[in-house]
Amino acid sequence: MILHDYELDSDAYKVRLLLSILGVAYDKVPVDVHPGREQRTEPYLRLNPLGTLPILVDGDMVLHDAEAILPYIAKRYDTGGVWLPDDPAAFGAVMMWLVFAARDLASADQARLHHMLEAPGDPVALDKAARAAFRVMEDHMTKRELAGAKWFVGASATIADLALFPPIALSRDFAIDHDEYPALRRWMRRVRALPGFITMPGIPDYH
Amino acid sequence: MSFEAGWYAVAIAEGLEPGTSAGTRLFDKEIVVWRDQDGASHAWEDRCPHRGMRLSFGFVRGNHIACLYHGWQYDTAGQCRYIPAHPNLEVPDTIKVVTYPSAEAGGLVWIWSEMTTEAPVPPPADFAARPVRSLYVERSAESIAAAFVSGALGDFEASGPSVFETVIDGARLRLALQPFTAERSALHIVRLGGEADPTAIAAWSEGLRRGLEAPLPVRCAAPAAHAGA
Repeated sequence: MILHDYELDSDAYKVRLLLSILGVAYDKVPVDVHPGREQRTEPYLRLNPLGTLPILVDGDMVLHDAEAILPYIAKRYDTGGVWLPDDPAAFGAVMMWLVFAARDLASADQARLHHMLEAPGDPVALDKAARAAFRVMEDHMTKRELAGAKWFVGASATIADLALFPPIALSRDFAIDHDEYPALRRWMRRVRALPGFITMPGIPDYH
Repeated sequence: MSFEAGWYAVAIAEGLEPGTSAGTRLFDKEIVVWRDQDGASHAWEDRCPHRGMRLSFGFVRGNHIACLYHGWQYDTAGQCRYIPAHPNLEVPDTIKVVTYPSAEAGGLVWIWSEMTTEAPVPPPADFAARPVRSLYVERSAESIAAAFVSGALGDFEASGPSVFETVIDGARLRLALQPFTAERSALHIVRLGGEADPTAIAAWSEGLRRGLEAPLPVRCAAPAAHAGA
């Protein structure tokens, strides 16, 4: 299995994180995204016409987008069905948060790339959208904690938690502090304590 | 109205776990609130004297808090005790973080709003309460207090300049208002009495926030059990 990867890509990090937690062996191919824009060269556009990372190649199968790759890896390698539960209600909730991670948290990713790599974007609008998304997550985890739960869905961590973690964990890179997200602060601490957890640049390792 | 120097709630006490730190603001001043491994909470200026890094980004080691940048460690009095780059150095007394008086009462962490060794008035007396949540609102503390007093968002009674009470779903709630920045505030909500589902109170608070942030104050929908009360 090959992951076409960029160390600073928070979506690629989601995939690295799940593979590390599951202890699945894979080959990592570093892609020169900045400044090379290698993901938009002809060989990469043949793998993914969207010109984005991450891309997972497993035998004949090619997948792009972290929110598709995470369920694939869970189905394929997490035989216990812990990270992508089979139960219809829990499955639906995980998928809902994956859509949220891909759609509503895209502004957080764009805000970070704008701050770090001067990617185009309206920083005021992106900041506003990212805060609105983080608030939805904070409200959810506030109610989950009051109900005695620790994770976004169900009784244990799922791929929803891994897809939601990077944007808020990296938010200080685009000037959004964690001050207003006490429930997310505690949840992030739990994510960090997962066996097999790994960091990426911007997420300090102090354990 | 405006807010004066005083004791302000800045966090739900139980939400600040031993060995963790959190950043906050009071009148726009950056403050780190952290709890040592022995369970005592501390409120300091959120700035490492070395390079000005926010200490709330750092990590707690035993009863010391360490800066994320270079690992300088401070004891519970704010005194620097260890500099990793100079492990044998006897750290001078002058390397010290400025501290705020702080106390815990009613399940909340309270801070005296001025940097001083001792607050001129004692902290709020303890009271029996169950924590609900901290609610962050994009509106000034003055306008939130005015909205509460106006009755536009429900029946709130002021029990202090920054403390309000209301009854929701048969539960008596106390809301402690924290002036965060000029444009932002926090409401730290605890339940004084009455049986109620805490998640329903949390959901009610989301509606309260929508009401407070609406361009014009609108009466937020009361839960069914509260309707007509």
